Amino acid sequence: MTEATVPNQESVFTSTARDWSSDITTFKGVPWGKAMMWIFLVSDTFIFTCFLVSYMTVRMTVTDPWPNPSEVFALAIPHELFGWQFLEAPIPVPLLLIAIMTFILISSSGTMAMAVNMGYQRNKKGVIWLMLATAAFGASFVGMQAFEWYKLIVEEGIRPWGNSMGAAQFGSFFFMVTGFHGLHVSAGVIYLVIVALRVGLGHYDKTNFEIVEITGLYWHFVDLVWVFIFALFYLW
Amino acid sequence: MATAEIPYQETVPLHHPKTWLGKWVFSQDHKVIAVQYGITAMAVGLVALVLSQLMRIQLAWPDAMPWFGPDEYLSAITMHGMIMVIYLLTAFLLGAFGNFCVPLMCGARDMVFPFVNMLSYWVYLVSVIVLLAVYPLMLFTDVQPTGAGWTLYPPQTITAGTPGADWGIVLMLASLAIFIVAFTMGGLNYITTILQARTRGMTLMRMPLTVWGIFIATFLGLIAFPALFVSAVMMLLDRLIGTSFFMPAIVSLGQKLSYSGGQPLLFQHLFWFFGHPEVYIVALPAFGVVSDLISVHARKNIFGYRMMVWAIVAIGVLSLIVWAHHMYVAGMHPYFGFFFATTTLIIAVPTAIKVYNWTLTLWRANIKLTVPMLFALAFVLTFIMGGITGLFLGNVIIDIPLSDTYFVVAHFHMVMGVSPILAIFGGIYHWYPKLTGRMLNDTVGKWHFYITFIGTYVIYFPMHYLGFVGVPRRYYETALGEVYPDFYPASAHDLNVFITCAALVVGAAQILFIYNLVHSFFWGRKAGANPWGANSLEWRTPDTPPSHGNWGEQLPSVHRWAYDYGVPGEETDHIPQDVPRRAAS
Amino acid sequence: MLIAALLLLVVVGSVIFNFLSPWTFLDIGSNWALIDITVYITFVICGVAFVILGLYMVWWIYKYQYQPGRLAEYEPENPKLESWLTIITTIGVVVMLAPGLVAWNDYVTVPPDATELEVNSEQWRWSYRLPGADGVFGHAHNKYITVDNPMGIKEDDPFAEDDIIITSQTIVIPIHRKVKILLRSKDVLHDFWVPEIRAKMDSVPGMVTYFWFEPIREGVFDILCAELCGRGHHTMRGEMQVVSLEEYETWLDAQVTWAEYKSGTLPLSDEAQKGRSVASEGGCFACHTLDGSTAVGPTWKGLWGTIVELEDGSSVLVDEEYVRESIADPNAKIRKGFAPGMVAEELNDEDFSALIDFLKELVPAEETSEEGAVQE
Repeated sequence: MTEATVPNQESVFTSTARDWSSDITTFKGVPWGKAMMWIFLVSDTFIFTCFLVSYMTVRMTVTDPWPNPSEVFALAIPHELFGWQFLEAPIPVPLLLIAIMTFILISSSGTMAMAVNMGYQRNKKGVIWLMLATAAFGASFVGMQAFEWYKLIVEEGIRPWGNSMGAAQFGSFFFMVTGFHGLHVSAGVIYLVIVALRVGLGHYDKTNFEIVEITGLYWHFVDLVWVFIFALFYLW
Repeated sequence: MATAEIPYQETVPLHHPKTWLGKWVFSQDHKVIAVQYGITAMAVGLVALVLSQLMRIQLAWPDAMPWFGPDEYLSAITMHGMIMVIYLLTAFLLGAFGNFCVPLMCGARDMVFPFVNMLSYWVYLVSVIVLLAVYPLMLFTDVQPTGAGWTLYPPQTITAGTPGADWGIVLMLASLAIFIVAFTMGGLNYITTILQARTRGMTLMRMPLTVWGIFIATFLGLIAFPALFVSAVMMLLDRLIGTSFFMPAIVSLGQKLSYSGGQPLLFQHLFWFFGHPEVYIVALPAFGVVSDLISVHARKNIFGYRMMVWAIVAIGVLSLIVWAHHMYVAGMHPYFGFFFATTTLIIAVPTAIKVYNWTLTLWRANIKLTVPMLFALAFVLTFIMGGITGLFLGNVIIDIPLSDTYFVVAHFHMVMGVSPILAIFGGIYHWYPKLTGRMLNDTVGKWHFYITFIGTYVIYFPMHYLGFVGVPRRYYETALGEVYPDFYPASAHDLNVFITCAALVVGAAQILFIYNLVHSFFWGRKAGANPWGANSLEWRTPDTPPSHGNWGEQLPSVHRWAYDYGVPGEETDHIPQDVPRRAAS
Repeated sequence: MLIAALLLLVVVGSVIFNFLSPWTFLDIGSNWALIDITVYITFVICGVAFVILGLYMVWWIYKYQYQPGRLAEYEPENPKLESWLTIITTIGVVVMLAPGLVAWNDYVTVPPDATELEVNSEQWRWSYRLPGADGVFGHAHNKYITVDNPMGIKEDDPFAEDDIIITSQTIVIPIHRKVKILLRSKDVLHDFWVPEIRAKMDSVPGMVTYFWFEPIREGVFDILCAELCGRGHHTMRGEMQVVSLEEYETWLDAQVTWAEYKSGTLPLSDEAQKGRSVASEGGCFACHTLDGSTAVGPTWKGLWGTIVELEDGSSVLVDEEYVRESIADPNAKIRKGFAPGMVAEELNDEDFSALIDFLKELVPAEETSEEGAVQE
């Protein structure tokens, strides 16, 4: 048995037990900020869980019919652009806008992961550009969400307190939950831009780039929540 | 295996304030923040105390205060309940004791993020101001404080038959949401400090039980408060823009409202998913404080430390799956009753173990009857009383006749009103010397103790029996002219009068406590570094009161648990945690 | 040592208080003796635990007082003792829980021979509905509620016609007949509770909740609302009379069906109809009824033009001046037998005269001749 393989011999249970029974830190090598972000995300998970469980309860018990998501959220492909007609008539595609939004948000997780990787390599330029790209993806997500809200409110007449298609709770929950998630994304965009700027200004040159990873944790969390919202609001 | 890990806090410089304002007002020092939390919580607690006295006077002498009508009564019960549960008990046990004890007992220089910690206090202050703003507003506008009861059950909360259904409830919900933000900022700090910023040698199983109680309570808070936050947001939307989350189709006082399809029971589930852990958010730190007080002043190790820790953890976990025992008569699916009655009574087992261990700690101890010890002993007895009446209410079928009667009022005041407050008093008498460098006056303290303990016991013990008779809670008065004369015997009303008299005495006795706090701050006897001969780290600071950064040049090193009292073969009856073990002989 | 004596006093005093206390459950009036038995078992187990723990505390505090130089026993833990205590506690908990769950199973399992009684609750009064001869309730929902249809019964439901409508606060039920209470609410949460029956349940708007019991003794029992329902919560009282079957039949014959209730609704002039809307919007019907039953406030049926007795013993004629004063300053003249508590309202002249017309038309034609008759 060589020395290098000794740590591998230890089971997960043994090492966890050793860390938890040790002094100073419980999570070895985890900086304070990262630990705190993890705990915050646990708390935030419960906020979204409560929102989504409430939504599921009400949706399962409400007696009025629930509006059909694939109709409500359909987006028509235009048949002409700038006077150039390329289709006979507009084609309504269910969930088109949402597919694009989801794709963008998932992609932003990819750029965020790359930014974290650049952080480990202390590649400042890479970190800044990838974080700004992530922020741009996030901002475009929020923009598209605003467009979707506009479409629902102005074109389809859906209001938080009622709509012509069925249960009033459809609009209530949709606007509340996506609004709350949108606020999270917006806050994340601001957070990303601030951290990117501070990286650029050299605030972290003397220490390390763990802040990039912490920001990344938050961002991945917001993306993960979106997956659940997407499944429960658009696919159910 | 000797660890080579270096505490991170030894490698980073501490933030040192330069101005007076930065040192005492916008301070990032956890001890100053603890005092700020404590004073604010006590001030708002006095408001709750006055409200409770008004309610008691109304119940005993219904005609004594003509200006105190049903609206005022309901507003008083609501504000009293909310202040006591959230703004006094939660804020004091976690905000004040949490801030003071966690870094000192773990051997940290401060909380891990002092700035966030400072923000936590100021946001808490904002929530208190928003909460109490309704009183000045009442003088100049027609805004009334909400009278929905602290449980805020819809649809009642936001319909016209309830006082304060227009703006009072909005202020209340906004204040709660702000409080949750403040709590989250503080709570993240406590947990991260406990997990990641202990000193050398301080393993989790060497931490004093106070820290364990605060740790698990904060964790519960971070996963329970979101439910309250969500329900507050949804209710605000129902109230302000007319959504129907909690509001079915109803006809309120002859008027059809435009709501439809909402679920009043959903709110109750969310509220109690917060509300039950909240009981333990308050109780667990109190358990911890009392364990430490009993051990220190009985000069004996706490009996069954490991069992005590695991009991705290078990209670914390179980508390998340018992919430619907508050809803046995709420009309939820009847089969829930079986599940929640069973989980609720299971929770009695770890709780009973804690009580046994406190009692067994007294066995063959060497008990010093100091003022903090008196409060701790009173806590144990009061908690036993509150705990066993919980066994009545937790058992679903017994809850049917007793729910919503004075039995419930007596139970929860015993178990989460009086008990934690006795623990808070005990804690204050215990740590005041470390905080200020001066002892509190013993004679005044004893008077305060005897009046408070006996007084609260004679208030709440007979109240259970009013519940057996069937007096419902939240009744402004019980007799209604000749159409509906009083439905309970006149002797029960005499009991009510007696309870009110006791309540007035207990309320007045708190002046002694405030006098003691203020007087001793200036003229109290000098305390010295370790007046009680205690072992945990907060008594081992180089300065008393501890200076900013707590530990001077070098962090302490911990070599043993916090309960080495009466170790055979030692010269002193206590060995502090930072005294090295002797080489094995 | 004062503390040991005090704790002893508290423990012994609590036990003595318990045995001397005149305050206990009211005599049971239903089949739920199992509840009382479970309470008794819990009382014994918890009481014994309380006394034992309390006395040990007192004894040890007394015995192990501080002596300088003495060391406490050093015993960090004693797994054997702790296991035993855990086992004993668990057994105690099981003994308390088991009968409770058995009783709960009975409580939520309604026997098939139970008759149904619907209790409607609103701020701040009760009303009742029986399924009538066909034994089936007509469909009802809050969305159908109007002033003429206070229970929200569906318009064309054939099952509804023979439903018995009881708008008075008093309900009569026969002894020894199992009854399933169905609870509905118009507005907020209420809770139908008769202390002697032991059982209670919230009524929740948008839902029908239930419980059942079998009355076992005759008598008149108070109905209380046990769930906070707004500023009139404490005034929400009713009466349940448990009577013999013959008396019940007599009472039942005197009640009106839904069909009769609908046809008996007074035709109103336009002006009076407007007065009724004014009253409805002002929330008057929360306390005043139109059918002669007594609620929180006096009924309006036949009120106009009568002479009523006041709390101070004097009498007053119900005329425009009296009504005007009672709206603007409700506490100026309080009817005998009623409690003050009405909120003052401001009405413009137009609304006021409409309201007066409405009150006038609430006096049936044949009674108008008895103008000046003294109401009790």
